[in-house]
Amino acid sequence: MIQLILSLLVGLVLAVSLYFFARRPKPSAEGSAQRLREARQTLDSLQDGLLPNDLVERIFAREDLEYVIAAAPPDVQSLFLADRKNVALGWVRRVRAAVLELMRFHRGHARLHARLSFSTELRLALNFAGLLTACRLLQITFYLRGPYAAPGMVRTAAAAAGRVCSISENSLAFLNVKGIDPFEGGGARHRA
Amino acid sequence: MEILSQVVAYSGLLIEGVILARGIQNKNFAKYSMFYSYLLTVLVTSVFLQIVRHIVSTPVYGPLYWRLDLVTLALGCGVIVDIPGHVFGGHVSLKRFTQWVAILTFGAIFLAFAIHVAFLPNWKPVANAAELERDLRIAQAIPLLSIVFLTGYYGIEIGKNMKGLILGFGVYAGVSIVLLTLGLFIGAQFSPVWKIVVPLSYIAALSIWTVALWSYEPASASPPEPTDIDYRKLAGRTQQALGSIQEQLDRTPDR
Repeated sequence: MIQLILSLLVGLVLAVSLYFFARRPKPSAEGSAQRLREARQTLDSLQDGLLPNDLVERIFAREDLEYVIAAAPPDVQSLFLADRKNVALGWVRRVRAAVLELMRFHRGHARLHARLSFSTELRLALNFAGLLTACRLLQITFYLRGPYAAPGMVRTAAAAAGRVCSISENSLAFLNVKGIDPFEGGGARHRA
Repeated sequence: MEILSQVVAYSGLLIEGVILARGIQNKNFAKYSMFYSYLLTVLVTSVFLQIVRHIVSTPVYGPLYWRLDLVTLALGCGVIVDIPGHVFGGHVSLKRFTQWVAILTFGAIFLAFAIHVAFLPNWKPVANAAELERDLRIAQAIPLLSIVFLTGYYGIEIGKNMKGLILGFGVYAGVSIVLLTLGLFIGAQFSPVWKIVVPLSYIAALSIWTVALWSYEPASASPPEPTDIDYRKLAGRTQQALGSIQEQLDRTPDR
């Protein structure tokens, strides 16, 4: 029975993949110096001006919640929580969009290279998948339980993000060969 | 039913002949020699089987059919190993990766087959030909899926010829996998469906190949080849940007 299910699954996956493969539009012709410069600028803007740090701290500042609870009537409290929830959800959406944009850039640029490192590509793909999953978990958490969600729920998302973080560190060590500085560009190094 | 299967069989021979003739005419034969050799073998074995069918008895035809089917199936695997060379061209790493995927999956199936033959005296290859064909079709599907996935992931353009070749093989392999699996599970009751749908799916694959290979249309120019150091810088910078985004995530509350 397992063999039956697995074989049918392979057939189904092949059918669905071929359907999208047949309908796939022609990719845009990239590779010119201009496109390359634009791609570099995209990456620079992602690295340097992705999201202001103080904004992130402001969105999730617990002092704000404590102040509102202490000073405001219940209807103002619920208005504050609803407002903060929308802001938090908007922030996660932006982070997720940035990850997707970075992923698009990397794939678009990597295809111009004849010799890709399979292990590096695999690590990056896993990192992207991990970050996108972490973003989704945060979105669900904020949506269901608000911006100041229960620590347990947030820790689940954070644990997934932590795993991604350690893989990133290993990957960076691998890439840090003589004459090549993967941190070139001056962005802040993340906390592992 | 018999008339229909005969019509389908002769249509198949006709289309195979058209593809081969057109391949010689437009000089595609030399460019995709592996595929055309495969098709030529299929045509020759099909004609041979048609002749044998009218001369010898059914008990002889059955085992002969499966033996020749396995030979053409093995050649089909060769075509699939050859496809990445045309699809990925200058993308050496992707080409090697997909070719290795194909070689390893086919190798695993043939190794399992050899082990069965060598160590299981009661196991007869012809008696289990349908099972072997299903396994080989699955083995064909895996490299095809990896080609489809990688071209989609990296946005690599595929020419009309190769797109058609992949689609044709994919359609036939997909239908064969599903029908062989159901056939092995359901048994003889499934035979009428098998006898109609499998030849029709092969006609569909041949039709796709006819259209796709009518003229020589490879993918557009190969990508430029930046240096290896450029790639490592790109990967490093992507990784760094990921770290920067990660840092934003780390700042969420209650950590």
